[in-house]
Amino acid sequence: MESGRIIFHIDANSAFLSWEAAYRLSIGENIDLRTIPSVVGGDPKTRHGIVLAKSLPAKAYRIKTGESLFAAAQKCPGLTIIPPDFNLYLKCSNAMVDMLKRFSPDIQRFSVDECFLDYAGHDKSHKAAFDAAFEIKESIKKELGFTVNIGISTNKLLAKMASDFKKPDLVHTLFPEEVKSKMWPLPVEDLFMVGRATKPKLNKMGIFTIGDLANFDLDILKFKLKKQGLLIWEYANGIENSKVNPDSSLGIKGIGNSTTISFDVEDRNTAHLILFSLVETVGMRLRSSGSLCSLISVSIKNNKFLSCSKQRKLYFCTDSTSTIGEIACQLFDELWNGDPVRHLGVSVTSLSSNEKNQLSFFYHGDIEKDEKLNKTVDTIREKYGKNSLIRSSFLYSGLKPVNGGSGSDSYPVMSSFL
Amino acid sequence: MKIVAKPIEMIAWFTRDGVPNPIRFRIMEEQKALKVINVDKIVFREKEKIAGCPAIIFNCQSNINGAEKLYQLKYQMDTCKWILFKI
Repeated sequence: MESGRIIFHIDANSAFLSWEAAYRLSIGENIDLRTIPSVVGGDPKTRHGIVLAKSLPAKAYRIKTGESLFAAAQKCPGLTIIPPDFNLYLKCSNAMVDMLKRFSPDIQRFSVDECFLDYAGHDKSHKAAFDAAFEIKESIKKELGFTVNIGISTNKLLAKMASDFKKPDLVHTLFPEEVKSKMWPLPVEDLFMVGRATKPKLNKMGIFTIGDLANFDLDILKFKLKKQGLLIWEYANGIENSKVNPDSSLGIKGIGNSTTISFDVEDRNTAHLILFSLVETVGMRLRSSGSLCSLISVSIKNNKFLSCSKQRKLYFCTDSTSTIGEIACQLFDELWNGDPVRHLGVSVTSLSSNEKNQLSFFYHGDIEKDEKLNKTVDTIREKYGKNSLIRSSFLYSGLKPVNGGSGSDSYPVMSSFL
Repeated sequence: MKIVAKPIEMIAWFTRDGVPNPIRFRIMEEQKALKVINVDKIVFREKEKIAGCPAIIFNCQSNINGAEKLYQLKYQMDTCKWILFKI
């Protein structure tokens, strides 16, 4: 990779919250959510759910992203809780990408609120890059109404690290010559790809800052952490040279849904119903992606947060809700030891295209009839809402007949690949 | 002008190029009576795209209750709703 690259990493500041705030101001609300303790997430009435994003005043109450709304409300009694609106966030995200396209055609959407932008082909002096980043930041603030942080460097990793330095509404640089002074003093868990599992392992080896990691013996790291050891050592030294890839989709490898249940499930029937409600969405997503699956797995978490899972390889491919559901229930029965269940998940992998399909001799039931049924159900649900057609076993059960899914499959999700 | 952000019923005409022009609107007053206001003059218009939601802002002037008043109308393009935004 040529050395003269300039990469920007653009990251919206507390994205969901500032988007919500900007939108509410634009429809005439007079309180800016960013200036009061507020969080986005879950249901404000029942207080179920977790914090997805928080305002800076909420941060002062030591509210953390990912904690339960109940815990957050205890820390800050007057907390404003806003339910998430994913369609609005997708609109904001798209508007941000459209805006960036004015500055460069090479944009990689890294997640819903983060983009990489290759500034190559322009004036490569650091001053020009800094001015351009400033212009991007200011035009997003003026036209779209929210603030972003921009990191500038020569590769994606350093740019991403730079945009994380100090928030909000700032431009930071982290060129290779600045790595020693700006990145090495940071705690090692701030490094991309070092998470809560890797951190204790590194701490045990006496590695506490990114600088410690960068100067550590690579052979020992490779021995202890295998391939990831090499990766994070390179990252700590600022070595990373992947391209800004406009099409960052890697193709779907599996589809899954899971749910945490608000009560302990102690009987088999309820668990089967919940599994079916998850399979409904998995099936719909599988069919809309034009794929068939041949591996089904079920995961259970009990009330002590111990989880286990079981999977089965099928000798045929299917996209039928009832077939997947039946197998998921069988797997559950084989896996379940009777403990109260708090969390259930179903996922399907080993996907293949549904254009051609090898039929099975041993499959019971009428495949064509089932296919038609699924297609009709999908069409009706698409037109009249996902609860327009439900399995009668859910009647009076008090359970959601169709469970899971964020409402939009075109939602760009975070990935661990730069 | 102060923000009121009231939904209104609107009659508007659109040019062949798709530019909307408000003509007159009806608003529910506090006493639950409907009031019709003619848009006498569009002073200027601007586009905004706050939070990714495109809208057109019209700064207008009308004679309301015998007094010339400036106000702002907002046309939300994705929902096709008209709002009396500021007055």
